[in-house]
Amino acid sequence: MSRTRTLLAAGLAVVVVLVSLGAWWLARDPTPTTDSASAARTSLVGLPAATGEPELASLDTLHPQPGQVVEAAGPFDDRFDLTGLSLTDRAVSGRVLVTSDVSDLLELQVLAGFYDSSGALIGTGRWDYHLDEATASPHDGQTPDEHRVFRIAVPADLAGRAVAAAVGVPVLVNE
Amino acid sequence: MALVALLSATALSATTVVGAEAAATQASSSKITNVIYLLGDGMGRTHVTAGRDRYYGASGSLNMERLPVVGQVRTYAVQKNSGQPGDPDFVPEYVTDSASSATAWSSGVKTYNAALGVDAKGTVVPTAMELAHQAGLRTGNVSTAEITDATPAAQMSHVLARGCQGPSYSAASCQVIDVTGGAALPTSDIRVTPVADQIARNGTADVILGGGLSRFDAADEAALKGQGYKVLGSPASQTVATRADLRNARSGKVFGLFNKGNLTISKFKRENPTSPQAAEPTLPELTKKAIGLLDQSTRKNKGFYLQVEGALIDKRSHANDAAQTLEEIKAFDDAVAVAVDFARKDKHTLVIVTADHECAGFGIIEKGTFTNAEAATPPVNADTGNPANNSTPARGANAKDPARSTGPVNGSGSADPKNFAPATFRTADDPASVQDGSPDASLWLTYLSGNHTGQDVPLYAYGPHSSELADSVENTMLFDVVTGALRIQP
Repeated sequence: MSRTRTLLAAGLAVVVVLVSLGAWWLARDPTPTTDSASAARTSLVGLPAATGEPELASLDTLHPQPGQVVEAAGPFDDRFDLTGLSLTDRAVSGRVLVTSDVSDLLELQVLAGFYDSSGALIGTGRWDYHLDEATASPHDGQTPDEHRVFRIAVPADLAGRAVAAAVGVPVLVNE
Repeated sequence: MALVALLSATALSATTVVGAEAAATQASSSKITNVIYLLGDGMGRTHVTAGRDRYYGASGSLNMERLPVVGQVRTYAVQKNSGQPGDPDFVPEYVTDSASSATAWSSGVKTYNAALGVDAKGTVVPTAMELAHQAGLRTGNVSTAEITDATPAAQMSHVLARGCQGPSYSAASCQVIDVTGGAALPTSDIRVTPVADQIARNGTADVILGGGLSRFDAADEAALKGQGYKVLGSPASQTVATRADLRNARSGKVFGLFNKGNLTISKFKRENPTSPQAAEPTLPELTKKAIGLLDQSTRKNKGFYLQVEGALIDKRSHANDAAQTLEEIKAFDDAVAVAVDFARKDKHTLVIVTADHECAGFGIIEKGTFTNAEAATPPVNADTGNPANNSTPARGANAKDPARSTGPVNGSGSADPKNFAPATFRTADDPASVQDGSPDASLWLTYLSGNHTGQDVPLYAYGPHSSELADSVENTMLFDVVTGALRIQP
């Protein structure tokens, strides 16, 4: 009888221990603490910092004929049409019509490559549109305007040599 | 026997305690394991009502409206360099944009319009998704917009200007010198690092589904794969992900962008079922997949945090396109149903449904009436100084101007560019013979503008801790509720 009681006691003790462990397991907080100072990644390993304004690799592959203004491929070519492209000895100009969804046009950069009479790229110029939401009302209270007219001056050091141009869009943020 | 009784009593006592603890623990861990945060971008109170009328009728309810807890959210932003509410240098901005609002619930601070993951003085602030990720929870971010767009980006990046999306840096799109002391930041600073570069390298979200493939390039794809992401489609070749790709993604970290830009409008896909765009997954499909991927983690006991955005409600409201807006509301609401179905089965999930701001002053006017914009003599909207409600309108009796009101803009007045009449839509209560654009349709919809408004927005919730949201809350409080529920408070 004594042995039975001992076994029973031992068995119950095991049960109590197991139940307690189970209770601890259920009660524990599975979520480790957080460190807000390090939660935000403020450096990205392996990402080289930008060295300046964006370029379009396609400018290097183009060789427009004198008097021509051609389009240079970029990442957003399915989102706009370029119309009215023209080149004078002072500037290249035209119009960007954003054709994809436009609830806001936030950023637009048009990059122009200038070419000499042999079709060699001799320099670039750019035009930026930026909507400052904090100081300007988007689209002046109206529904969005998909058109932007741009004019990019021929850099002074290319005057007289730039006889052709290519135009592309490396930056476009519309939503 | 006495010993047996003693041991039995001990065991009983232990069992009772355990039972109580288990119950408490269940309540405690049922405190919450998961949070699914869904927002309809630009979805104001009227958007919800219009969606209800359109699809379920006046006495019906959208899925979000069936949730047991209802509140509302104050959405105002602050100006650049402002302090927080209560600070001496606090300067409010009454109408927010998506970036400022998303930063409010993502990081718990008010900031200026266009800022993401930084406060109004430009200081980086951690996001709920970053805290969840750091704590070992699984994380997901789903949007019908480009994934670099303001709402999804606010959880996964820190930039001074929302336009700094990538793939390339430009000073005009990334620098905000009136927040950084008049000088541009070095391009190595995270705050001027394009959002796409950040998303591809910081690993904040385990599951990333949406649009915006054009923002990412070959280097981004390599960085994602280096972190163990399964990349659906290819940023390097600009091959968009497909529904089949999504179906085959069964576990782990997944990055899938299904359009080079925003995902395609639901109405277009419905009307063009054989178009390539119709093959894009819907928001409910993306939501269901994201939940499935996040819930099956081996770290399941730590739970997950998922954000889902119905972005196109806002985008089509900006365009004053009620027909498309309505279908985006429906798609978003169907995603809510997916989340709630999961939460009901899971019992450890808090579901929050809200918006970032109202867009375009959406209005429902009584059938057969007209708006001020259609009036020949609109009310003057000035204090007439009368002591009682007895004045004669200063401009004479209100009357409709036939030159400005030539029939429903989606019906008989559609060809008139100067027509200010409402668009009309049939509802679930209308006879089958009633057509959209007809004067007989019951739902008459108008817009005040093409921009955001300062209205408070609706808030619905389901699950443990949801009662904390039965209130009128600041959008920053949503950060406190989410991080509190997940026990990841900073």
